[in-house]
Amino acid sequence: MTQRATIPMAIALLITTLGFATLIFVQEAKSPPLIYGAYYAGTMVALYLGVRLWLPHADALLLAVVTLLTGVGLVMIYRLTYDVSGRENLATTQAGWILVGTAALVLTALLFKNYHRLFNYKYLLAAVAVGLIASTIFFGYEVNGAQLWLKVGPVNFQPSEFARIALIIFFAGYLADTRDLLAATSRTILGVQVPALKYFGPVAFVWAASLGLLVFEKDLGSSLLFFAVPLLMLYVATGRIAYVILGALLFAAGSLTTYYLFDHVQVRVQTWLDPWSDPNGTGYQVLQSLFSIADGGITGTGLGEGFSQAIPEVQTDFIFSAVASELGLLGSTALLLAFLVFVYRGIKISLLAADDASKLLAFGLTSMFAIQTLIIVGGVTKAIPLTGITLPFVSYGGSSVVGNFILTGLLLVVSENAGRRAAEEATPEFVEGEAA
Amino acid sequence: MNTQLRRTFYLFAAGFVALVGVMAYWQVYAREDLTNHPSNGLQSQRSQETPRGLIFAGDGETVLARSERAGGNEYERIYPEGEVFANVVGYWSNRFGASGIEIGQNNNLSGTGEPETLDELLNQFSGGPETGNNVTLTVDPELQREAYNQLAQSNTGRGAVAAFDPQTGETLALATYPSYDPNVVIDEGFEEISNEPNNPLLNRATQVTYPPGSTFKVITAAAALEAGVRPTDRFNDDGTYETPGYSFGNYRGKAYGNVTFAEALVFSINTVFAQIAVDRVGPEKLAAMAREFGFGYEYEDYPLYVAPSDLGLPPEEWAEGNTAPISFGQDRVVSNVFEMGLVASAIANDGDMMQPRLVREVRSSDGIILDRPTPRPLNEALPEGTARTLNEMMQGVVEEGELVAAQIQGTKVAGKTGTAENPQGEPHSWFISFAPADDPEIAVAVVVENGGVIGEDGAAETPALTIAGNLMRAYLDRPAPAPPSTQPNLPAGVPGGGPGEVLDPAQRPAQPSAPDQPGAPVDPFAPFRNAAPQQQQQSQPGQPPASQQQPLQPVPRPQDEGPG
Repeated sequence: MTQRATIPMAIALLITTLGFATLIFVQEAKSPPLIYGAYYAGTMVALYLGVRLWLPHADALLLAVVTLLTGVGLVMIYRLTYDVSGRENLATTQAGWILVGTAALVLTALLFKNYHRLFNYKYLLAAVAVGLIASTIFFGYEVNGAQLWLKVGPVNFQPSEFARIALIIFFAGYLADTRDLLAATSRTILGVQVPALKYFGPVAFVWAASLGLLVFEKDLGSSLLFFAVPLLMLYVATGRIAYVILGALLFAAGSLTTYYLFDHVQVRVQTWLDPWSDPNGTGYQVLQSLFSIADGGITGTGLGEGFSQAIPEVQTDFIFSAVASELGLLGSTALLLAFLVFVYRGIKISLLAADDASKLLAFGLTSMFAIQTLIIVGGVTKAIPLTGITLPFVSYGGSSVVGNFILTGLLLVVSENAGRRAAEEATPEFVEGEAA
Repeated sequence: MNTQLRRTFYLFAAGFVALVGVMAYWQVYAREDLTNHPSNGLQSQRSQETPRGLIFAGDGETVLARSERAGGNEYERIYPEGEVFANVVGYWSNRFGASGIEIGQNNNLSGTGEPETLDELLNQFSGGPETGNNVTLTVDPELQREAYNQLAQSNTGRGAVAAFDPQTGETLALATYPSYDPNVVIDEGFEEISNEPNNPLLNRATQVTYPPGSTFKVITAAAALEAGVRPTDRFNDDGTYETPGYSFGNYRGKAYGNVTFAEALVFSINTVFAQIAVDRVGPEKLAAMAREFGFGYEYEDYPLYVAPSDLGLPPEEWAEGNTAPISFGQDRVVSNVFEMGLVASAIANDGDMMQPRLVREVRSSDGIILDRPTPRPLNEALPEGTARTLNEMMQGVVEEGELVAAQIQGTKVAGKTGTAENPQGEPHSWFISFAPADDPEIAVAVVVENGGVIGEDGAAETPALTIAGNLMRAYLDRPAPAPPSTQPNLPAGVPGGGPGEVLDPAQRPAQPSAPDQPGAPVDPFAPFRNAAPQQQQQSQPGQPPASQQQPLQPVPRPQDEGPG
């Protein structure tokens, strides 16, 4: 594991500072209270130092990427909202959420340094996850046509952001226990080997329950995530490509069914296929996104010079369009590369992890992160139909930020475990550096 | 298990690479299509968020248009001089379009043209703001204001003024009245203003054409001089000129007897000009001379639209009944003060018509000069000798015609009046002139719509003459020869009430030489009463009378046509 990431951390903070300096001095944006900037930088540096002390073998590069992504997110949220009345404080709120997320990461690292304990509670976690998702049906309220939000005291949050992580822990623990049984099946239906229902049952049940609820709640982006991540975990656990093919067929059938059952799915697909037919109605959002992206060109309009504020929900789902507009192809590619570095480190942690459950956990978390990024960036660029999910760490949104910090915390403890093992196996002279 | 992990990583990596490809598609390949898509409002939003350049008057200080931050990132256009410069500066509105210099110089003002300085180039690369360039006009702000006020105070309150520097072609004033406030137009007032009966959005100096009346006689005179007529050649005027089907007379039926050609111009004798045009010049040469002076030319290099002046039928179709009235600017001859001002300028400048200009220079926002056009001749309308002769004849019009309202103490003034019959009502009052005649600094053309109000004695008022005189004196900063005629307009209904027409010797002691002319008119107003009386203009099949013209309509842009 890369245990030291001081220079990447410094670069990430420098880029964030540069972004704010550009907005304040060049664009003459009203400066946000500097204390928030100090909070943010201090939090990230303290987090980095804390992780270096508490988890000395963990992959600290993840924190540098997280710092870069949250920093770019803060700069963009600030740029997009500082002069919008009623939204002036979104950037400082986001900084607050980052603080909360950091606390959640620290708690995760403290409580679950021995994360194997979590697998003992996998059924409970699965039940909690399904319960969380179901809770929005009874207690939730609707935003933008999807009933995803819960109000707990003064705080609104999206339970599915946390349910995902719980589900991944469940799948990792369960699949690690049963992977041999699932792989070593001899039954075939129509030439496709299928696992024994006895072992596959719990997976199928949790999977179907969460999917069904999400489809019911019209949360298409999360549905896609909840479908794809367990499928990939199943593939990794069993090594059987047949599961992926079967899953893809199931997905196709499910998609067709939902397409005919739900109007809003039809609208989404029609909008994707031909946004030009209704440029001021259903196609408005994605067309504004494309106009903004195109406006950026290769080098971008320059920070603060673009017009991506025209995109509805730009600070959450469409923040990538704003980055592409103002920082251009170069900036958006750099941001995508930062995401890819995170994914690369996540897969690396999974590769180095000692046991199956750890591997599957790291892989599940990483693939969720990767697929979420691919879905939303693909959506705002009209590569795939648009589904409303956040861009991890960059988009505005408390639940999303906190959830992704917890995800990072889990990856860190897994990497600590793997790193320590690698360090023990290595020669005594080997102290640090790449243990690949 | 690790094999599957690697494979899925490759899958993710492929996904990210594909996304970069998608981004490249939108940001490079499809960029232009999306930018120009009609649903894409970003460009107009950008133009709203970029300050346009300043527009200055000729003194380089008077701001005619500036952009001001109007809350948020948006800018709004402010026109400090309002109505006075509206017809020149125009307006810039996202909703109602644009006009005047605002559209004519938009490439400079909006900064959307090619980058011309290193700064602009760097800005374009870095995506920084591309502020517009500043445009300085040639218009003298005081003269423009004076012209506007004089028109406002004229007897009908509708008219136009064009003033040029004859030696450089610079537009010194281009005024029209009534005008509009561009600040109101861009602020939702467009509809109301465009529906006003007086049509204030119309630039009467350039967009409207009127019959030029006797001011056109300078062109006929130029053609006559070129055809060999000398100023001293004598012609007989018996008060009428007969053509098949037509009979033309002088104003109020006057007969002048035996007069020289020069005197015919001084007293604006229609019958003599008709004789000369028909017998000595002929349609082809007369039309050719008019084209030399810019009739039919669109002045496309001028930043404002100029309705081309027109002679009506092509000369090969002129009957004598056309040629005769055309010689004194009636029939279907139409022109405007822009054109007639350039005619005066060309005569003043020894026959060379300079390219008319409205923009003195263009500077980048940081003061670097990007463009400063130099004076260049547009066309040699007349040989120098002929131009000098015509110049002297026009000086005679002001001196011997005793047009006191246009005279300047110690300065020779050349000019020609016009009282143009038109189907809209009272005759239009015209005057074209330049001064000092021996070294011209300013040429002025004035028209007052229906300003030649005919009084009970049959005499018409001459508000254009008074306005032109006042403007020339103001520009040259020299006094009038008589007690200064501070009364710029004539009270409506008072026939010939202007001081310029009063031949009371006591009122003009400073008149250097006003010897009584042989054959001088008994009626002192006769010089201006020279249009053909309406009742003598009979219609005839195939030759529709002037009443079928619609001079108040903006003239549609015809085909490109050179001045000569």
